[in-house]
Amino acid sequence: MIDEFAAIKGDSQGYWKLLLGMGALLMLGGLAFIYIEVNGHGVTGMNNTVVWGLPHIFAISLLVMASGSLNLGSMSTIFAVKHFKQFGRFSAFLAIVMLAGGLAVLVLDLGRPDRMLLVMMHMNFRSMFTWNVFLYSGFTVLCFLYLWSMFQYPQFTKVAGSAAFAWRFVLTTGTGSIFGVIHAREVFHSAITAPTFVAISLTSGTALSILLLLTTFRLTERELDLRLLHALRNALIFFLLLVLYLLIVEKFTKFYSPAFYDVESWILTGSYAWLYWGGVVLLGVVGPLLILFNSHWGNQIGGIALASVMVVVGLFCFVGFVLIAGQAYPMNMFPGYEMSSVFQDGMEGSYTPTLWELMLGLGGVGVSGVLYLLGIRFFRLLPKKATAPQGWDVAWHP
Amino acid sequence: MTMATLERRAVLGLGGALAAGVTLAPGMTLLAAPAERTEASAGRRWAMLIDTNKCTPNCTSCLSACRKENNVPLFGEASRDIHWIRKVEIRDKEQRRPTVNLPVLCNHCENPPCVHVCPTEASFVRKDGIVLVDEHRCIGCRYCMIACPYKARSLVYHETKRGPESNPEVPIRSKGVVEKCTFCVHRLDNGQMPACVEACQGEGKGAMLFGDLNDPRSEIAKRLHTVATKTIRADLGLKPRVYYQGL
Repeated sequence: MIDEFAAIKGDSQGYWKLLLGMGALLMLGGLAFIYIEVNGHGVTGMNNTVVWGLPHIFAISLLVMASGSLNLGSMSTIFAVKHFKQFGRFSAFLAIVMLAGGLAVLVLDLGRPDRMLLVMMHMNFRSMFTWNVFLYSGFTVLCFLYLWSMFQYPQFTKVAGSAAFAWRFVLTTGTGSIFGVIHAREVFHSAITAPTFVAISLTSGTALSILLLLTTFRLTERELDLRLLHALRNALIFFLLLVLYLLIVEKFTKFYSPAFYDVESWILTGSYAWLYWGGVVLLGVVGPLLILFNSHWGNQIGGIALASVMVVVGLFCFVGFVLIAGQAYPMNMFPGYEMSSVFQDGMEGSYTPTLWELMLGLGGVGVSGVLYLLGIRFFRLLPKKATAPQGWDVAWHP
Repeated sequence: MTMATLERRAVLGLGGALAAGVTLAPGMTLLAAPAERTEASAGRRWAMLIDTNKCTPNCTSCLSACRKENNVPLFGEASRDIHWIRKVEIRDKEQRRPTVNLPVLCNHCENPPCVHVCPTEASFVRKDGIVLVDEHRCIGCRYCMIACPYKARSLVYHETKRGPESNPEVPIRSKGVVEKCTFCVHRLDNGQMPACVEACQGEGKGAMLFGDLNDPRSEIAKRLHTVATKTIRADLGLKPRVYYQGL
């Protein structure tokens, strides 16, 4: 069942074009970083109301996908789905490269990135950021150990894979908690914010893995068994239903309390409602579910790929909504009063990203892309042929 | 001097140096701590009381004094200008109470969320309860701006320069760093009132009162016992130290 692993040749024009493309994104990110560093954040669209912008959307989306990228490995190591074992190396490696891309953007967008080492020297353990420093570095170490065990010490794969699996839940809980624990922000202050981040990491990580496997196998002319893709589709459906459930529970809970009427009505009908309904709900959850539940599209490679693209775009919309709408919603300093000031109190915050921010964000994608392309060329991360056992099929088809 | 003596001396010297290092290291930091930290008294609790009945819509003397005292520039961009203190107008949604004007600034909370979220401990609480930002330690992550419910913090979006009118006692605002009201800590340590309070009592209408809550003889302690006051978002449990009368 598990064919021999092999690095890709990586000598085709297509490979070099892809590598150059990703390298160009990385360079653009580097340029944007230097420009912002020299001129200050005044060249971005961020302001004193919306203080986190497009680079953070890229960074957090990449970090969320990093955690979700481990799904395929966990399916074999933890849940004993043996025919996914062949994707274990790919899965752990992808988690590392996505994390690298996300962290690069996060660090380079700091107001004073030159002081990054201070985070290691002066730690405040009440800060979710400090916890995330440990969570990200710990996750990287565990993914390396998991990968290493799969290469050389299979007897430790179960232990390393289980540790990485547990860590990824804590990691994404930590990422979601950056927002969830903040009482001042009514849009994202919720105990359910972190679990929703975890659920969305499951959907987006699976979708990204589907897209990368399809693309890599097609471009390297390797065989990818359609039944494996159907198994991933079923997992994606399950994860999407989980996200939908959490979104509904959150809205139900909030709308039950009159205290949240204002903010929840604003979310569903206000300036960013298009992003919530169009991006988070339709593009990120309902649209992919409709495609995957369709008896024709749900069984086709094209349909599954389209749904996966929508899920990944939906993740960016979700993070974008949490971040931008969460900050733009006016802070309720005097309940029962309307307020105004020269500091834009009582007003919705406005934010229009600049090209520099887009370049910085894409730089993170470039980092992940370059590392992925180099990884599959120099390491035996992918099977020559990905097949499922003869006579086996997934339990359910649309 | 024999080789054995030399080696023994070297070993003793190294051991001594190590011992001294181990002893001293926990007390040392690579960055010098601000001098104010050691001058603050844990017995004091600075607080401000603002009588909104006296604060008139057109008076901005506290704002101007703060800008001048703390070298806070105006960039001319409404969304990016730095405001350590600002005048806010609040209107009752049901129009049962009159419109109120009041200055809003850092509330120097007893449980400050900005300090809790700061990953490098750049935001810290001084012994006397003043919440400060060590601008040499701030990495500009802006998490404190997300966490503060009073919108009291500003990121410095542009380079600023010291000019002939700059206050030499106070540093200029530092690009890429988050800053906020310090209760004019440099003045307090010299026995003076914060610049906004002094301006309000001089050119303004005398709406601001500042003092030590722990001193029962202080005017602010007496007033807080005799008049009804409120704090902003008391429900968050942050225990702010800026009190409002007439809200």
